[in-house]
Amino acid sequence: MSARTDHSANALTVTSHNPGVWLRLAPAMLIVVPLMAMAVGLAVVQSFGIFPVTGRSNPSLEAYRTLISSSEFWRSLTFSAYIATISTALSLAIGVGVAVAFRTVFSTKRTSTFFLQLNLAIPHLVGALAMLLLLGQSGLLSRVTNAAGVTDGTIGFPALVFDSAGLAIIAEYVWKEVPFFAVVSLAILGTVAVDYESVAGTLGAGRIQRFRHVTIPLLLPALLPAAVAVFAFAFGTFEVPLLLGGTFPQALPVLAYRRFVNVDLAARPEAMAAGVVIIVVGLVAALAYQRLAGTLRARR
Amino acid sequence: MRHRSRFAILVALGLVAAACSTGRVAEADLPDPSNWAEVVAEAEGQTVNLFMWGGSSQINRFVDTVYAPRLKDDFDITLNRIPVADTVDAINTILSELQGGRLRGGSVDLVWINGENFLTLSQADAVLSGWATRIPNARLVDWDSPEINQDFGLAVNGAESPLGSAQFQFVYDSARIDVEELPGSYAELRDWIEAHPGRFTYPALPDFHGSRFVKQAFYELTGGVTPWLGEFDEKAYDAASIRLWEYLQGIGPFLWREGTTYPQSLADLNSLFANGEVDFTFTQLPAGIAADIDSGVLPATARPFVLDTGTIGDSHYLAIPTNAAHPHAAMVVANLVLEPDLQAAKLDPANGWGDGLAVSLSRLDAAQQSVIARVTSSFGEFSVPASLLEAVRLPEISAEYTLALERDWDRYVRQNRPLS
Repeated sequence: MSARTDHSANALTVTSHNPGVWLRLAPAMLIVVPLMAMAVGLAVVQSFGIFPVTGRSNPSLEAYRTLISSSEFWRSLTFSAYIATISTALSLAIGVGVAVAFRTVFSTKRTSTFFLQLNLAIPHLVGALAMLLLLGQSGLLSRVTNAAGVTDGTIGFPALVFDSAGLAIIAEYVWKEVPFFAVVSLAILGTVAVDYESVAGTLGAGRIQRFRHVTIPLLLPALLPAAVAVFAFAFGTFEVPLLLGGTFPQALPVLAYRRFVNVDLAARPEAMAAGVVIIVVGLVAALAYQRLAGTLRARR
Repeated sequence: MRHRSRFAILVALGLVAAACSTGRVAEADLPDPSNWAEVVAEAEGQTVNLFMWGGSSQINRFVDTVYAPRLKDDFDITLNRIPVADTVDAINTILSELQGGRLRGGSVDLVWINGENFLTLSQADAVLSGWATRIPNARLVDWDSPEINQDFGLAVNGAESPLGSAQFQFVYDSARIDVEELPGSYAELRDWIEAHPGRFTYPALPDFHGSRFVKQAFYELTGGVTPWLGEFDEKAYDAASIRLWEYLQGIGPFLWREGTTYPQSLADLNSLFANGEVDFTFTQLPAGIAADIDSGVLPATARPFVLDTGTIGDSHYLAIPTNAAHPHAAMVVANLVLEPDLQAAKLDPANGWGDGLAVSLSRLDAAQQSVIARVTSSFGEFSVPASLLEAVRLPEISAEYTLALERDWDRYVRQNRPLS
């Protein structure tokens, strides 16, 4: 999932008029595109109920109809959208804040970047496990508060993991994505923004005015594609909500997985249909970004 | 626009790939167990990819250090154990390969399998059949017993060879609960749960152990297993199962996390138990929990017990996919695991496993029987006595009931929808 969203986001920022870009992308595309094409293609085919092993080969929209008419599908869709939206918004806000703070604390961009890249090598899977061990009712935090007499036993500690609000899921995404937004912001803040801000300063703009009218507009074009990538990732990724989510509601990718591993092969097309819905949401987010970026550019 | 057209190309590519995928294998060069010498000769030098649940490091070690060297020394077969998080991953690999047109040379040679996954493969006609009753060691297996020749009520038809047997048991911590307090039935369990809010839960279905827990409750609350032994009776099931959902919805608010969420697997439940968040967990091993205590999964004060109203016992098997690259060697492995000395070693929790027998005691000679007896007498307090397990053992019922229970649990318990 991560490969797909990351690549689509990168592809969108490429200036496609330059043929050299495509040449340089070719080696990666040669591997990624056929593999992705096969996977996506098979998913689409199976979502139409074509599944030769079980002897069914008449294409139909039955899986989509079943899915759309089930209340659980809509619950999962809104749950995933909620998680992705909150995670993206929080990471973005905190990330920009961290970048601004780091710029004043550390003299060089190199030091800031070093600190922000500390969790880069940790996969989401490990991050999710860490959240489980940290935030669970018998986790580290619970043990500390219990020992300090703040909470009483495992039940006294609030349910942050396996909860219906997806708090631990959001915490994991925010933990992982804040540095991403911060690095993107720092790249702008450390170079372009400095000049513009000082010019604005000499023209009499205050701190808040500078931030509002100079820094933010400079950051936005870089942060928007990052936000789209994070949103699509948080919406479509599977391991984090599987590990940290409760039994109900389920994130959409978890619902797809459960249908996929159902003993009844008849549930397979529904799993694929749910997968196709996730892809479509990702594409819609990307297209929406393009429209938005176009408007932003036009306004400038 | 550009992106949309590229997407269309991707879809088209996928359609082409999926189109060339149906067809079946020719019967010609499949192994014939009645000519065993030829099977063994053909198997020489082959590598068997054994796909099996990899969640227990002790069981993995047993396979690697007991089966693998024996196969290498006696048959020049290399055993390549491939761990999967859930057997269904292996099933999906087999089905995906068949669908992708890989009718020979598949990557799965042998799979450790149980009822619901066997049903899936059978539905897709994806396993070799008729061989398991004809391998040499099949004579040690009681193929007349429904505990062997039926898997989830589905006729085995020689399409899978038994590996071992299991029986569902509850586990409690003797440091926290007195023996007298233990529930003897689901009715008593409800009283215990209501008196101890938040201290009980079970794995969410379709987890195997969760499914077992619910199915046993179904038996007890609907007047026992007898009415359900025949073919799937949907009308009777619909009418009777209401009592089960009332029971499970009734205990919901008194469960761990008020029943708003359930652990996903036995491993999750075990860690809740070990962390002191709940007071019960389960095991399937007839030899009990000694191996789990040795490895630190369960506390040393944990003890297994069974309900007086019965617990479900069944067998687990090895199956060979129709597209297996090395079906001959796979058959040799399935035969080897039935060797009496290896069955005894597997039964002994000191070797890390403690799995029940697949061979029938009465079909072993006196020396082999005494070896087994010695192992069984070493189980001690970490197991339920074999005679008691035998006395309360209940059979499995038709797979359709399991599917119906899983579907309705999802509706009435997981989503907590009102009973209509």
